[in-house]
Amino acid sequence: MDDLFIAQTKSTPNILFEPQKAKLSIEGQSYPENAFKFYEPIFVWMDEYLAQLKEDAVLEIYFHMPYINTSSSKCMMMLFEKLEEAHEAGKTVNIRWYYDQDNEIALDCAEEFKEDLTVPFEIIPLADEATKDGQ
Amino acid sequence: MENNLDLIELQKTLRDSGVLITFSGRFTQEIIEELGEAVKKYLETDATSLNDTYNVFSVFIEQTQNIRNYTVKQAGSPLAEQIANSGVLVIGKLNTGYFVSSGNLVAAPDVEPLVSQLEEIKLQDKAGLRKMYKEKLRKKLPEGSSSAGLGLIDMARKACQELNYSIVKVDEEVCFFSLQVRV
Repeated sequence: MDDLFIAQTKSTPNILFEPQKAKLSIEGQSYPENAFKFYEPIFVWMDEYLAQLKEDAVLEIYFHMPYINTSSSKCMMMLFEKLEEAHEAGKTVNIRWYYDQDNEIALDCAEEFKEDLTVPFEIIPLADEATKDGQ
Repeated sequence: MENNLDLIELQKTLRDSGVLITFSGRFTQEIIEELGEAVKKYLETDATSLNDTYNVFSVFIEQTQNIRNYTVKQAGSPLAEQIANSGVLVIGKLNTGYFVSSGNLVAAPDVEPLVSQLEEIKLQDKAGLRKMYKEKLRKKLPEGSSSAGLGLIDMARKACQELNYSIVKVDEEVCFFSLQVRV
């Protein structure tokens, strides 16, 4: 599979999916006009990727989203449900959600996502701008 | 002078009501983004915490996108233009904190479902709102949906008081709906 790259805009995050490295990163705020339309290609891509993911492979997913609107939250939940399903099917998926340590909203948001999931979901505070660049 | 708008008077009214930023007219995604970034930059220097900034910003986004989505849904209706041009948004500051208010015309048949949704939300305490939000977050959406229906619940969760709204009948076809959220 080819890489999937969607460049950041004011209202949409930077998305980089690298199948060879088994890595997906979503970084930036998200409040597109139509979140479902924006995230649709990522859902399609993820379905295709998870279907061929071997049991010994480890998919790493990295989020750093300082702000997401409600329809983007819904889309994230849909994405997490796909990952949850893969996890239940015995595949290895690690979710890491980074947030700026004084951004309580991003933390609360992550905790609510995590609550009903069993897929590994780590929530990690970032100390300051400098740390973030190193991730 | 042809245009007798008294700017001094207008400015006084805005100041007296604590208005920081206001926009009246047609909301497009571009305007929402530009205003949103301006709001965020302003609040970063004014607000006491990053959380205040994001609370105001997110209520602003949900309100303006609700208006925008409603406008998009009206496309093709005879009321479409009138509704699209009816948006108004105000962000202001009172001694007790910030408020985000918005208003727009709503077609008469859409008023009742909106009111019942707001009343249901007003009955909930924070724990109830959280439960409602989580249920909706997990509920499967019908094919082709463009809205998760989470906006009003999210605003109520971020508000420091219950949602305050009013409906004023304009004519047989439309009502003016306004919503004030205190953050």
